[in-house]
Amino acid sequence: MLKTILAGLRARTARLVLSSIAIALGVAFVTGTLVLGDAVEAQTRDNFARSARNVDAAVHLADNSDNTVMRDGIPADVLQKVRSTQGVAGADSREYASAALLGSDGKARNAAVQPLPSTEKLRDFNLKEGKFPAKADEAAIDVKTAQIAKLKVGDKLKLLDKDNVEHSFSIVGTYQQGASSMSMSGSDHVVVSPEGLRTIVPDQRIYEIVAVAAPGVSQQQLVDNIGKAIGSGYKVQTGEQLTQETLAQVGDAAGEIKTFLLAFAAISLIVAGMVIYNTFTILVAQRTRELALLRCVGAERGQVFRSVLAEALFMGLVASVLGILGGLGVSAGLQALVGTVGGPSGDDVQIRLPISWVTIAAGFGVGVLVTVLSAVLPARRATKVAPVAALRSQPDSHDDVARTGKVRIIVASLIALIGAAGVYFGLQQEKEEPAMFITGGAVMVLLLAVLLVGPLYVPLVNRLFGKALRGVPAKLASANAGRNPKRTAATTAALMIGVTIVAMVTVVAGSGRETMNQQVDKRFPADYEVSSNVWNQPLTQKFADELSKVRNVSQIAPELSAYGESDKLKYGDVTGYPADAIGSLVRPELAGGTLTGLKDNEIILREKEAKEAGLSIGSSLKISDKEFKVVALIKDNSYGAGIVTLPAAQSILKDNAPKGYQKLLVKLAPGTDIAVARADLERVIATSPVAVLNSAAETKAELNSQIDQVLLFIWALVGLALIIALFGIANTLTLSVLERTRESALLRALGLTRGQLRQMLVVESILMALIGAVVGVLLGAGFGWLLVQAISNAEFQISFAIPFGQIGVMLGLAVIAAVIAAALPARRAARNSVVAGMAEA
Amino acid sequence: MSALVSEVGTRTAAAAHNLVKVYGKGDTAVRALDGINVAFEAGRFTAIMGPSGSGKSTLMHCLAGLDTVDGGSIHIGQTEITKLNDKDLTKLRRDRVGFVFQAFNLLPTLTAQQNILLGLELAGRKPDQQWFDTIVNVLGLRDRLHHRPTELSGGQQQRVACARALVARPEVIFADEPTGNLDSRSGAEVLDFLRMSVRKLGQTVIMVTHDPVAASYADRVVLLADGRLAGEIHQPTTESVVNALTHLGA
Repeated sequence: MLKTILAGLRARTARLVLSSIAIALGVAFVTGTLVLGDAVEAQTRDNFARSARNVDAAVHLADNSDNTVMRDGIPADVLQKVRSTQGVAGADSREYASAALLGSDGKARNAAVQPLPSTEKLRDFNLKEGKFPAKADEAAIDVKTAQIAKLKVGDKLKLLDKDNVEHSFSIVGTYQQGASSMSMSGSDHVVVSPEGLRTIVPDQRIYEIVAVAAPGVSQQQLVDNIGKAIGSGYKVQTGEQLTQETLAQVGDAAGEIKTFLLAFAAISLIVAGMVIYNTFTILVAQRTRELALLRCVGAERGQVFRSVLAEALFMGLVASVLGILGGLGVSAGLQALVGTVGGPSGDDVQIRLPISWVTIAAGFGVGVLVTVLSAVLPARRATKVAPVAALRSQPDSHDDVARTGKVRIIVASLIALIGAAGVYFGLQQEKEEPAMFITGGAVMVLLLAVLLVGPLYVPLVNRLFGKALRGVPAKLASANAGRNPKRTAATTAALMIGVTIVAMVTVVAGSGRETMNQQVDKRFPADYEVSSNVWNQPLTQKFADELSKVRNVSQIAPELSAYGESDKLKYGDVTGYPADAIGSLVRPELAGGTLTGLKDNEIILREKEAKEAGLSIGSSLKISDKEFKVVALIKDNSYGAGIVTLPAAQSILKDNAPKGYQKLLVKLAPGTDIAVARADLERVIATSPVAVLNSAAETKAELNSQIDQVLLFIWALVGLALIIALFGIANTLTLSVLERTRESALLRALGLTRGQLRQMLVVESILMALIGAVVGVLLGAGFGWLLVQAISNAEFQISFAIPFGQIGVMLGLAVIAAVIAAALPARRAARNSVVAGMAEA
Repeated sequence: MSALVSEVGTRTAAAAHNLVKVYGKGDTAVRALDGINVAFEAGRFTAIMGPSGSGKSTLMHCLAGLDTVDGGSIHIGQTEITKLNDKDLTKLRRDRVGFVFQAFNLLPTLTAQQNILLGLELAGRKPDQQWFDTIVNVLGLRDRLHHRPTELSGGQQQRVACARALVARPEVIFADEPTGNLDSRSGAEVLDFLRMSVRKLGQTVIMVTHDPVAASYADRVVLLADGRLAGEIHQPTTESVVNALTHLGA
């Protein structure tokens, strides 16, 4: 029997190669996604663990320390004690200061300044260029900061301290920092010597002391020694504990992206599984006669069955190995893509290819299991038929084109019911996240139900499209696409899944974008916004006065955020505006009461906060011992707990808070030329190092570009699934062409030209692609609508919008890809000689 | 040559001149057709017979423009089809030739009616409704028109194929073992119909067969052996055909 199997494998090389490519592609996608997920996780872990690298012992303040101790940090003499502890080879403090960094354009940006650890092993940055600062007037800067602020080694680095005093350093090196809460916040980053740091911030606030052990001293010993040396009030951990703790914090951040990627891996698994299943079903169905012949000459049913399985196993194994290798390539490519799109760590991305046993198992699982399973069903069918009957059977005759069974319909209905119940439950959710996840999961269940009944509606859609077709080849194509509903449904299903998801994500993102744009328009009635680039350096009253003197400026409304303790509210953060700006330049969405004419002892409260605190219009509350009366409720969440007048906000403000405004809203006189006004404003703005000009249009552009980046990434991932699906179409077509050799020959004999034969196959391909794509778009839009409904709630309304342009592009791409998919099979079919074709059994 | 064409053109539906067809190369080359000269008269029913490997099917394929030749020429009517390119050959088959094959004559995706009209549709021609009705009635296919091939018996399938060949009123109908897959009764029906289409409707039919009974329906039998012409019988009977074949050593 083994001989027969091997001979069979040799004889059908072309078909097997095709099927193997389908399997390998599927495996590649699954492993690629998994490897990418692991790589992202490893990358993140590595980045985060960098702050704990080489650390043998770490000292923090005890968790139960009181507020004053927390505020002042670890006293400086503790560092001395640690350094002189027995077994410590070196120790350093970790602290940072905030300062404003002046870029080469003269604009200030927030920057975190850290002292350089004196112990080389404890530096949690990698030097890229030059050297680390050694003297008080030297500094090294983060590579990304250097890029953004356009600074390089040899330049002067200017930092502004809290009182706007300028400090100058010479840049002696650049470095790459590990991911940390600081680098992830996107703020810029520089390193100076400990002495240098003191010139900017005189007070130390040490949050961590890290130490390395002398040779032969264990981490635990070191921790014990240090604990004894510094006394109580501190938490001393081993380096290992610190690493674990840091990673536990990271877990959440890295876990999110991993979940996201796993979702795609699952999608890819399904898509790949469908393509493999379909390919193998066709393959075995075509061999029904051959298998029957084997039976006729004396092979037992079991032998025939086993031979098919053995063949599938062999193919699955070979293709899986190729696929796993290909998957590594896919992952590398995606990482390169993420690198160019600019992920959280920009050029810090290095391509990693971690291979875990889960990945290998998933790869082989998909490749071998799905292949063998795909072979089992048709092989069972093939061996069940009486050998003689099978010998006589024609492809696509009654037996293999069995109508969709009742069982299938019942199962699909049940699944659909579960999905619908899930959607209903999801829609009831108040909170955005559970609503999104529950509804998202439920629509995937619905998608499964829709896919199951594919053989029912795919022929209908095909007939609908077929009606629009003219000409004999096109009509024949439509008939061909309709001849085996199960096969066509399975072929189109793979594409349908991909398109549905892309369409859904695009619709949700498009709706989100639309909503944001509307919100931006609504929330920014001001023509321009001038804000401070550095959070602890607000815009001064003098600057506001100067700005109001610019010609064509009709109104300036300063914004002041203040934080105080409240007796009733959980958070007493309010935003203050001049009373005459509220209702005109500041226009939140009202839920009750009136906005205009706000007095200094009145507050406009956010509806949600009011509800939680049991307050309503007319009730009163205290913030920082000031009494306020609630006069209106608003829905927006961008003003903190509420809005008060400017004087009220100033009275809440703590004494040590920086004096000035976070933002100035600028209203131009009606009919002013925006471009001229902008030039005028910029002249004043240039006088302040921290002020930047924003307009609603620019805010919109910025938000849109962020959404587009996410979309691009999703499109790239799903694009891979689509490629596999289109390969599935090509595969089905090629196998169909082989199967229909005699038919094609007959058509040629009857007068179908080569061109018409090619045209027939291209149209068939386009039909299949369009069925998948159109149904996918419709489903995706529907699911997207459900998701939008689910995410929307009383406070956060998303308006449903379909990005027709992007969806049009997608349909266009599907047609183009279909033409490409049909190219090879069509060539093959047209090349065949008529006589040879007629002779083929 | 030109004399031959004009002389042939008036009375001949198809003709082969010094026809050579070689399969394979070098030592393994087989001359399937080795210099055949034969003409088929219009309005007559001719059978091509010969033992297995005599080249009868190859001759038919070449005559019908389904296969290329390695030497000599073939005419359908006045057209030398050996000079045509693939596209023109396809057109010729579509417009001037009809086929009935041994098996697998019909497209499984089309109904009987669609199959019958397929050739005309490919040519973009309107079917002559009266002619279509005549054929369908004669062949007894009226109540089978909307069935698909898998729902038809072998004999019915072959009659649909005949109807398709006839509906376009081609210059020649080529039938390749049309009764090969049928029981004797269905076979007789099909052969009766082919003979009737020649006698009453003035069609030209060239049929390849190895069955002496089938050949006896023809007006003339052309005998082939080893790729050469090996005689002919006019007004054949089953006995005369069996006799002639026995002499050929089949």
